[in-house]
Amino acid sequence: MPNKTIKINVPVLARVEGEGALDLEIINDQITDLKLRIYEPPRFFEQFLLERSYQDVPDMVARICGICPVAYQMSAVHAIESIFQVKITPWIRAMRRVMYCGEWLQSHSLHIHMLAAPDFLGFNSILEMSKEYSHEVSRGLALQTLGNDLISLFGGRSVHPVGVRTGGFFHAPSQKTVDAIRKRLEEAQYETEELVRWTASLDLPDDQQQFTSVSLRHPDEYPLNEGRIVSDAIQGPGLDLDISEYDKHFVEQHIPHSTALHSLLDGKPYLVGPLARLNLNSDKLPAYVQSIMESSGIQFPSNNMFHSIVARAIEVNYVVSEALQLLNQYKKPDSPYVECKPKSGIGFGCTEAPRGLLWHQYEMDSQGKVKKARIVPPTSQNQARIEQDLRQSLITLGLNQKEQTLRLHAEKVIRNYDPCISCATHFLRLDIKHYQEKEEIINPNNAQQNNAVPRIKIIGVGSHHGNDKLGFETLQLLKDDKQLANYTNVNYVSITSPGTQLMDALKETDYAIIIDAIAAHDEPGKLIKLEASQITAFKPALSSHGLGVIEAIKLGLALKQIPHNIVLIGLNTDGNSDWTYTETQLQRLVNAVRQLIIR
Amino acid sequence: MSKISVSVHKFSSCDGCQLAFLNLGKDLLSLPEFIEIRHFAEAGPIDIESSVDIAFVEGSISTPDDLQRIKKIRENSNYLITIGACATSGGIQALRNLADTKSWIANIYAKPEYINSLDSSTAISDHAKVDFELWGCPINSQQLLSAIRSLLFGVAPLKDSSKVCMECKRRNIVCLMVTKGVPCMGPVTQAGCAALCPSFGRDCYACYGPGENANTTALANRFAGLGLMPEEIAQRFLFINNNAGSFKQEGLRWKAQSITKSK
Repeated sequence: MPNKTIKINVPVLARVEGEGALDLEIINDQITDLKLRIYEPPRFFEQFLLERSYQDVPDMVARICGICPVAYQMSAVHAIESIFQVKITPWIRAMRRVMYCGEWLQSHSLHIHMLAAPDFLGFNSILEMSKEYSHEVSRGLALQTLGNDLISLFGGRSVHPVGVRTGGFFHAPSQKTVDAIRKRLEEAQYETEELVRWTASLDLPDDQQQFTSVSLRHPDEYPLNEGRIVSDAIQGPGLDLDISEYDKHFVEQHIPHSTALHSLLDGKPYLVGPLARLNLNSDKLPAYVQSIMESSGIQFPSNNMFHSIVARAIEVNYVVSEALQLLNQYKKPDSPYVECKPKSGIGFGCTEAPRGLLWHQYEMDSQGKVKKARIVPPTSQNQARIEQDLRQSLITLGLNQKEQTLRLHAEKVIRNYDPCISCATHFLRLDIKHYQEKEEIINPNNAQQNNAVPRIKIIGVGSHHGNDKLGFETLQLLKDDKQLANYTNVNYVSITSPGTQLMDALKETDYAIIIDAIAAHDEPGKLIKLEASQITAFKPALSSHGLGVIEAIKLGLALKQIPHNIVLIGLNTDGNSDWTYTETQLQRLVNAVRQLIIR
Repeated sequence: MSKISVSVHKFSSCDGCQLAFLNLGKDLLSLPEFIEIRHFAEAGPIDIESSVDIAFVEGSISTPDDLQRIKKIRENSNYLITIGACATSGGIQALRNLADTKSWIANIYAKPEYINSLDSSTAISDHAKVDFELWGCPINSQQLLSAIRSLLFGVAPLKDSSKVCMECKRRNIVCLMVTKGVPCMGPVTQAGCAALCPSFGRDCYACYGPGENANTTALANRFAGLGLMPEEIAQRFLFINNNAGSFKQEGLRWKAQSITKSK
């Protein structure tokens, strides 16, 4: 049975927040490599918070994420208030909850309509979708706007709001503005019920998996700003921790392919976010929301990650009713904040961001200056779980599917988590490569039909120095191969200049295999194989030499001077001169070329 | 009025300025009547190398890869417009320019060799010609629409070079610095936010960047008069737009004083 290798490569993952990539390699129906790579450059927030006054902290941490700034502000002020031993008033507690409801409403509405729904309805974007689904899209955008306006009520604006301070708010809205928004919340209630039913009616894949859900839990309410950290008892005993004990069970690991740190719970991946919250807390939803949840026809707790979109919609329904109920009792207070006096100490803040648990730890000195800061965003906690899910989900789908099918499914799986990659405090571009060794692609069948024996040319490009000698060395080993000596239709050519020399070498042949060192954005030493259509799409990394080969082939193809049956094969050098390929890597390349010739 | 083609690109940022598009609400659906979006990853369309009339760029340059990418974007666009503090001045993450990034990476990541990052975070204009700048952290949708409208009519977008102080006067907001002694950055900060922070009774923290001919030294001296320590004055300037010319200069001047005094 021939080796079948599938590699998938999409340079930018659409409809996620921030930049990430996915590496997927399938050999003989086995996943041999799967990495969710996070590329978002690190922004070092934990470092530049140092020596800053506590007053700067809410404005600084908001800048970690434009989509969930309120979450960052809330986790931070709770941590600082615990150090300063500040007791906030019931009014402040309630209004923080309202503001947080606004963030869930805008973030969930944005995700459901702009990022996720196009997947299930077969569109590339909300703009395409809006023509056929204008009612749903308008409803979604209106809910998103309402969420933004709830944030602005207390924050002045929805992105990086300015109203939050340690001890409360800078500003309490007037009764008139509160009344106006209450009216809109009332009107939106029915729309959120419709939204739950609509998401439940989407064609969501049935993909049952075993995973551990982690979220906050509060005795009296659905968790937003407060609670203990709990997990379900699926893969071990269920947790019930004070937020200060997070470190005892959760460990962050730094892995090569990501600027985000991977978080594990007792060594295993786990899930945070809407589905995890609902799995653990549906009993805390008001009876009215529970009845909407039940009417969706979907059972919670659910082991199907594709139910996340429904979980989000149920939370949208919840936050609209919760904000309304809290604002119905609104009365403008004497002061929207309580005075704070700095104290030294260590404190923790843990709240439920739209995407899940957001944990902060600060150490302050007696002046209220930050001495140490640690921030664990939800997406870095979900990253290991996303990789685990992708593995299982792709196997369930079937690994022998078409490239496009595999890719779309992988993207859908990733979007279930609504990854927020900008949260690279210490933290996606999706690079799915799909090189498929299908016989019809590389076997010169067409040529064979016309000619009894196809003319095959093996071209080694390079020099006698450094990694550039790869082409020549491989060519020599192939020429010395006894079995290949029987193939009289094969010509071996070595060239030093990839430009016109290569163009000439490629003429008058049916099938060409070009061997060269390739500078790709990948692991050094990795075997890379590109056929004609992939060559034209390939973007080389750094090597000026590699660029020459690719450009020459593109030019040749465009001018129709060279055959379409071309394979460019080689090892990735990463453009790195300090690295040299090993004997094993060279042998792997020789074997790969041999197979191509023999076929 | 013909349709114009647009791309939205992201560099190092929080994604918040792209939301000026995505938070347009129902207006978002009328955008395609005026513009054709060719590349906007977060919204869906992907065509990184597409040639466009306007490229909107969010985020700062902070990795070796970014340097290559911004050159391509410039080549492929008629107008390049930076959106937000990161793209326009390097953003809050430019605070790394004042520090030893290698030791920062070592402090956060167990395996620093995996991290590919430049020592600095810099504005787009340090690396490519920028035609128009939209300041703000974040920018708001009105700034964005007004820039697009202007270009649709074939005129340059208007720049308000007045300060936040002017916006307070226009809105009848009583001066916080004069009446309460709050160290407000309004006198040196570009208008554009409608004096959001002062309207909430708090100090402006200069997220719209330095205004024209900002008298940073006079303001810093006034802060000293209000009782702020040199380090605190430095931090007022070295915040969201820490890498913007006059803020950086003033901030570093006070930072130097604070170090001398502590020795």
